[in-house]
Amino acid sequence: MTTELTIDVRLWDQVSQFLFREARLLDEWRLLEWYDEMLTEDIRYAVPATDVRGEVAGALGLIEDDAARLRQRIEQLLNDEVWCENPRSRTNRMLSNVEILTDRGTHLDVAANLIVHRFGHGRSDAYVGKCRFELVADGNSFRIRQRVVVLDHETLYEHGKLSIIL
Amino acid sequence: MTIELQRPVDDRIVVEDLEQLSFRVDRRAYTDDAVAAAEMTKIFDRCWLYVGHESEVPELGSYVSRDVGSRPVVMSRGSDGKIRVFANSCTHRGALICSQPSGQAKSFRCPYHDWTFSNQGDLVGVPIPDGYGPSFRKADFGLAQHQSETYRGFVFVTFDPEQQRTLPEYLAGATDYLDLIDDQSEVGMEVIQGAQLHGARANWKLMMENSVDIYHFRALHKRYVSYMESLGSTPPRRRGGFGSALGLGHGANELPPAAARPLAYWTPMFGEEVRPRIEATAARFVERFGAERAERITGTNRAVLIFPNLMIIDAIAITIRKIDPVGAGQMAITSVALAPKDEDPDIRELRKSHYLTFLGPAGFATPDDIEIVESCQRGYLNRTVRYSDLSRGMNKEVPETTDELPAREFWRQWDRLMRDEESR
Repeated sequence: MTTELTIDVRLWDQVSQFLFREARLLDEWRLLEWYDEMLTEDIRYAVPATDVRGEVAGALGLIEDDAARLRQRIEQLLNDEVWCENPRSRTNRMLSNVEILTDRGTHLDVAANLIVHRFGHGRSDAYVGKCRFELVADGNSFRIRQRVVVLDHETLYEHGKLSIIL
Repeated sequence: MTIELQRPVDDRIVVEDLEQLSFRVDRRAYTDDAVAAAEMTKIFDRCWLYVGHESEVPELGSYVSRDVGSRPVVMSRGSDGKIRVFANSCTHRGALICSQPSGQAKSFRCPYHDWTFSNQGDLVGVPIPDGYGPSFRKADFGLAQHQSETYRGFVFVTFDPEQQRTLPEYLAGATDYLDLIDDQSEVGMEVIQGAQLHGARANWKLMMENSVDIYHFRALHKRYVSYMESLGSTPPRRRGGFGSALGLGHGANELPPAAARPLAYWTPMFGEEVRPRIEATAARFVERFGAERAERITGTNRAVLIFPNLMIIDAIAITIRKIDPVGAGQMAITSVALAPKDEDPDIRELRKSHYLTFLGPAGFATPDDIEIVESCQRGYLNRTVRYSDLSRGMNKEVPETTDELPAREFWRQWDRLMRDEESR
């Protein structure tokens, strides 16, 4: 049986490399670089509530950041104003199942699975979720216009909080 | 002095000295498994406990299932329109009859043997009924229904068969505050979909204290304060504010807003576009309630603690926070947003947006609260320091919001119940 290879392997590789770089910058707390170099000016970063499955119109989520609020989040984290991230937690992001869902011409819809291991203040937690990215072309690379992380957890009972950027 | 304050007086956990203006809580209250177990029988089995808001079961047959006082329950609006709270346990062999967190159903079927109960609690179906003798009557096996009452949309339950107080009697002075919440809409308030379900590795009482503590605000929440200032939040138009003890363990803080309120208090941080709408709403409140009460409803922030484990915070948004103990060193937190059903869509978005800025496990404030109560719990591991101090404001006739009066009211009731002093 032969299957026609419909994906553009080179594009998939570019997208994957881009997202792996994003994960590394976040793990290394290079948040301003991430913000300046990898996001669009109209970035939306959202994490829906765990009791609604995915994005539901009208529902309250956990995070709904536009560029300005995301910038504030980053500055707070970097200024050590965030008591629960001071000392800074150690994180390790595992990004897999990268899949280009649709090439919409203006942008790519990309899905990926994510596990973020976080260690800090004597705790170890894992955040498990599914990411949906909207990537727009930017020269030879991309920028992220939309970044939604749908957590698979039923609750954040174990974690208590979500003080890092997923 | 330090040694003197740490010397045990007797075996009391709550040690109050009105002459010395001293109020101490032995940290065993937060760490001792025996205390945690006793709380379940002496407090959670005896008080009225918050279950949910009636807007969560809007239609005939709507239901939610959740734990209340560590007991799985179902709050159901029966086909007759009445809200009931049932034990979520089959009367046959005990399995949960409802595993969905919410939904709409005419009946609940136990998956174990297919016993089926109507949404009014009646046992309506038993497969292979010839296995029971003539004395078996379905009427004897309806779902266990808990005593429940609703006050201004807030549904409470009590597991105490000898409960002497009606819900309004139990709520005492806290009814005023629920009125101030429910009066915010002529057509009723509703819980917005999307709950923030999280927790903390700390004793549940630490979060109750934290939720009614304004003293920590400028210290712990510097980043939130500077964020709000960056949005152009303005200082309150009047100073002051006060804390109150509302009786039977309930307490509140009331203070002028430092930022806008989506209901009807506009400041520049909300933008000019919505200003006319918000000001029109404010005028409508003055018509309905008169200037003074309208100002209290629309132009005042409040946090009310309803004993034992409910917090309602009404500031830049309204949150209902239910805090459940899970043993001595862990709690579960359920937070939802409450808003007028008839809210303007743009203002609803502002409300949700600002709710998230402050509140919830990823807000700019709550994560630090979670971390600090966990930090307290860890600090208690050093048992050399025996007591926590909650005496702020005992030197004043009218304590300010940065004092600890509401927390003392909580602890006094806790102490009466734990020592079996409180009559039922």
